[in-house]
Amino acid sequence: MSEILTTFFNLDIARQVFPFLLEGLLTTFKLSLLIIPLGLAGGLLLALLHTQSHYRAVRILVNCYVDFFRSFPQLVLLIFVSFATPFLGLDLPPILSLAISFTLSTSAYYCEIFRAGIGSIPPAQTEAARSTGMSAAQTLAHVVLPQAVRNVTPDLLGNSLEIVKGTSIASVLGMSELLHNAQSAQSVLFSPTPLMLAALIYLLLLWPAVRLVSNLEAAMRLRSRH
Amino acid sequence: MDATPSLIHTFFNPDILAKTAPIVLASAGQTVLLGFLIIVCGIGLGILLASLRYYTRRRTVTALIVGYVDVLRALPPLVLLIVVYFALPYVNVSIDATLATFLCLSAILSAFIEECVWSGIAALAQGQMEAARSTGMTWSAAMRHVVLPQALKIALPQITNRCIATIKNTALGSVIGFNEVLGSAQAASSDFANPTPLTLSALVYIAMILPFVLFSRYLEHRTGSH
Amino acid sequence: MQKRIILEAVGIRKDYGALQVLKGVDFRVREGELVSIIGPSGSGKSSMLRCCNLLERPTAGQIVFDGIDITREGVNINHVRQNIGMVFQQFNLYPHLTVLGNVTLALRCVKKLSRAEASEIGMAALAQVDMAGKRDAYPNQLSGGQKQRVGIARAVALHPQIILFDEPTSALDPELVSSVLGVMRKLREAGMTMLVVTHEMGFAKEVSDRVIFMDGGVVAANDTPERIFAAQDNERMQSFLSRFLNEK
Repeated sequence: MSEILTTFFNLDIARQVFPFLLEGLLTTFKLSLLIIPLGLAGGLLLALLHTQSHYRAVRILVNCYVDFFRSFPQLVLLIFVSFATPFLGLDLPPILSLAISFTLSTSAYYCEIFRAGIGSIPPAQTEAARSTGMSAAQTLAHVVLPQAVRNVTPDLLGNSLEIVKGTSIASVLGMSELLHNAQSAQSVLFSPTPLMLAALIYLLLLWPAVRLVSNLEAAMRLRSRH
Repeated sequence: MDATPSLIHTFFNPDILAKTAPIVLASAGQTVLLGFLIIVCGIGLGILLASLRYYTRRRTVTALIVGYVDVLRALPPLVLLIVVYFALPYVNVSIDATLATFLCLSAILSAFIEECVWSGIAALAQGQMEAARSTGMTWSAAMRHVVLPQALKIALPQITNRCIATIKNTALGSVIGFNEVLGSAQAASSDFANPTPLTLSALVYIAMILPFVLFSRYLEHRTGSH
Repeated sequence: MQKRIILEAVGIRKDYGALQVLKGVDFRVREGELVSIIGPSGSGKSSMLRCCNLLERPTAGQIVFDGIDITREGVNINHVRQNIGMVFQQFNLYPHLTVLGNVTLALRCVKKLSRAEASEIGMAALAQVDMAGKRDAYPNQLSGGQKQRVGIARAVALHPQIILFDEPTSALDPELVSSVLGVMRKLREAGMTMLVVTHEMGFAKEVSDRVIFMDGGVVAANDTPERIFAAQDNERMQSFLSRFLNEK
């Protein structure tokens, strides 16, 4: 037992690599903070296009975009963007490839969530707001969207959680985020401890988020039943 | 100069397509088979765990199931995959990339399925189980004929979404050397110094996943029209 | 000569933690009898009824059904429950099955009848509650009264020796109550043994052979409806009854 512990969780090695892993964690945070707002903005824009447009063609286009990128594995998209663009003579820095590919796919997911949220608000709300002389944009901003966002908060959080988890695939491009640093440390020190430590860090950080999402979902279910 | 022919020549080169398609498509067959096995096992185990959680009165069993689910929902799939594949050999357990992909993705899927089937069961009135038991049905017969059919129907959209995510995650297997579509395409792409195999792999993934995406649209449409 | 006893409760007690809901309840139901259980809410009526088919396990005491103590270890309760039907306040129909599917599910997976046999018995049960015409409808297409009649047919189809009714009309709109009570009257005339928890004092008075008045987890009175409704001896029962009878 203690042998397994010294292999998988060697305290000396853990202490040694901890600062290096924290550096990686910082990059993970930065990536998340870059990608999540981009995805939210793109998703909201698409959802507004879909729900507010009078043209059927626009709705169909948005649906096609969403279905296409929901079918595209994140890693395949990332590899495609970063390994195929050089053949066009474009040399994108990894961070840009990452931002482009994540924004393309996460905005598809956020779009679906926002759309469901907007769809959950009864038309009578819009009518009431318009009857008081508010413009369509004001109605959206002050009446529809606040309620819509509240209704889909668990899904928005859940999707953002998936994105934070998804940043681990940036390691494939050699970006020094948490997983990548753990892997380099593992191969240099020939010890699985850095990997276990990285997993532990992910777990400690994301477990509360998972619980929060579950509890919010349960609370939503309860509310919708009454 | 017209850019279109050169684009097609680069990204969808017929000669290279003819040479690499057999390799990529062969691995597509493997990926489909593995994806199918993962989905069957993941859903089966998830339903089993949700039923056990409903059946048991022991707090320790419930806590174990919830812990299992939370950990697997919190860990990024790639992190789990790398920990299993690179850490186990240190204790002389060697595990092959296909098996590692199968085990990790099945476990992750089972956790998500447990969660959504459990919320489906929790959304049902307790009276359904009692009514079935009052007619002399055993617990497991009541579960099979009355509780689970309804819970699965409630959870079907989420189950579909998790299946989509699972098939997409098979691409992560390429990172540890499981020879799935993306992995073989990357190898072929560097052999021929051309991105055509990557384009092909993207198309293969889209062809595998799009039916699930369209099915989830259909489900959404069906519940929306009620 | 008295008819044989179908169901007997002997010293039934039920605790939920520190809360004592039933504090020693005894009664008997004989073959062909309709016995009503009335009493203020919180008096333990529903808990008592649910103890009769062990949906709730009594903390102490015995339920003797058809001469067998079913609270003993080792009794196959699923077998016993085929002979004790139950009708619920909230109907508890299976929303994913048709009306006929609701009635025949237990016939097919408990009694292992073929689809044809089960349908025949199910249709006969539906005819008894005037719901044969709705065999292919789903529960959400039915009114509350219709749902409850299907709930009754689900119990009747198993040909039980007794049916337990747990406030079968409490969840119904007033105008739908009479159709359900009508079906219950018909069942009684056909000789079905019934134990009914109810707030319908008119029904309890007219149709019951005996009325059990429960209060505070014990049987406060157990007598013919004539005597119960003319009772002088129990102050709480009088105030309870006058409240209900004045409402009518």
